[in-house]
Amino acid sequence: MAYISVPEIQRTLPQRYRLVGLKCKKCGYLHFPARKVCKNCGAVEEFEEVKLSGRGKVYSYTVIEQGATVYEHTEEAAVGGAFSVALVELEEGVRVMGQITECDPYSVRVGMEVEAVLRRMYEQDIVRYSFKFRPIRFQGRAERP
Amino acid sequence: MMQAKNAVAVVGAGNSRFGDRIDANLSDLFSEAFVEALDSVDKGLDPREIGEFFIGSLSSSGEQIGLSASLLAEYVGKRGAPAMRVEAACASGGYALRAGIMSIIAGANDVVVVGGVEKMRDVSGPQARLWLGVSSDTRWERWHGLTFPGIFALQATRHMYEYGTTREQLAYIAVKNHSNGAENPKAHFRRKITVETVLNSPFVAYPLTLFDCCPTSDGAAVAILCRADIAKNFTDTPIYVSGFGAATDCVAAFDRESLTRFDSAVIASRQAYKMAGLEPKDIDLVELHDCFTISELVLTEDLGFCEKGEGGRFIEEGNTQIGGKVAVNPSGGLKAKGHPIGATGVGQVYEIFHQLRGDVEKRSRQVPGAEVGMAHIQGGFGVAATVHIFTRG
Repeated sequence: MAYISVPEIQRTLPQRYRLVGLKCKKCGYLHFPARKVCKNCGAVEEFEEVKLSGRGKVYSYTVIEQGATVYEHTEEAAVGGAFSVALVELEEGVRVMGQITECDPYSVRVGMEVEAVLRRMYEQDIVRYSFKFRPIRFQGRAERP
Repeated sequence: MMQAKNAVAVVGAGNSRFGDRIDANLSDLFSEAFVEALDSVDKGLDPREIGEFFIGSLSSSGEQIGLSASLLAEYVGKRGAPAMRVEAACASGGYALRAGIMSIIAGANDVVVVGGVEKMRDVSGPQARLWLGVSSDTRWERWHGLTFPGIFALQATRHMYEYGTTREQLAYIAVKNHSNGAENPKAHFRRKITVETVLNSPFVAYPLTLFDCCPTSDGAAVAILCRADIAKNFTDTPIYVSGFGAATDCVAAFDRESLTRFDSAVIASRQAYKMAGLEPKDIDLVELHDCFTISELVLTEDLGFCEKGEGGRFIEEGNTQIGGKVAVNPSGGLKAKGHPIGATGVGQVYEIFHQLRGDVEKRSRQVPGAEVGMAHIQGGFGVAATVHIFTRG
């Protein structure tokens, strides 16, 4: 049985709410989610916190259909319908899994530009909030046509 | 040190019917496979010669998680024998096989039983959806509502993006495996399907439809292994473990360098090829982990049967059919034979045992002149893999 405990969420709130990653002080490798040992150079607990921009591009995606969710997401899909989950490559180079929101799930494409937003997800003991990603609709750059 | 190549032989194998086994509990399923395995030993085997039991199981029914191996050993009349459960999610059977082989090479046992069993169909829908996906990353992937098919769907989307693979090519894999399964009396699904069946069935996780996915099944399988130098006491036609390998990878997909390559399969198969002194072109048949159609496609590349990115075309051209360059999943694979998690990896040995002896129950499913067979199985998203190469004695 898969279950994410309330204390585990508590331990990781800065990551789940604000996308706080850890940068290795020895080699500069950026980790999200946090680890105790650097994945790149093996340094132990020598990190500084870095708030990730939340901006990136869809590396790959899927659409989870309403009748095919994991148990705890049943109600979320019953209310909101099928939803897209994507692997997003952030500007900083790390890849992060997250739902794509505020668009038709079937309109998601590889390479689509997205930004992180904080959203309500599902309820199990407590309401579970998390970052999700939404398409950047208005690029806001003067040089673009 | 004892040489590992050809040090261990398979002298018997059994496989319960896979599927909806309303008639049987966990112990009954195991007993069915065990009795068939004992009966298959040509010159007979006294159960007193069995030294130890290695049982692959995820225990997904939750009924007997602790000490299931002890329960099963006693149930088949071997009270007192050492027995342990081996867990590596869907690769549990593969790792049980590895443990059994190791114990013989180490000199601790002359004869062992390697088994696998799972009872999955008794659990309710909500219960099943709590259990499924327990072998993917829970904290940062399942959290976002990513299902197990969803992870493989991410792989399919990326493979399509990088190499132009199509949904039709994936569908063809399901059609082939259903066609093989239709001829297998032990299979969960014994019905042929068409490409349209796959394309028109509902999406589970886009771009994968229901027919791109394997089922959950009840079932058990058993292989009887012994020291190669005593194998002829039991049969004139043993098959030998000529090479083996194993590897693990990051549990989380976001930690991977590539979504379209299973490093665990690359590493484990290269170890096995090296030990056996064989190459991909020497393999006549392979039973590999087709939990989803995209998995079979990627593994066909990663085990070395074609170049990376060529899988779709290689399969579409019929190279992986029985009678093609390499028969992939002649049993029907997880897709059609079924996937009782812990039993699957040992069920592959059952298939290869009969294919290499040339005595598959239906001639239509017999790979002509099969001399070398490979078994590949993986837990999770290619997280824990084993590869074993078998040759005819």
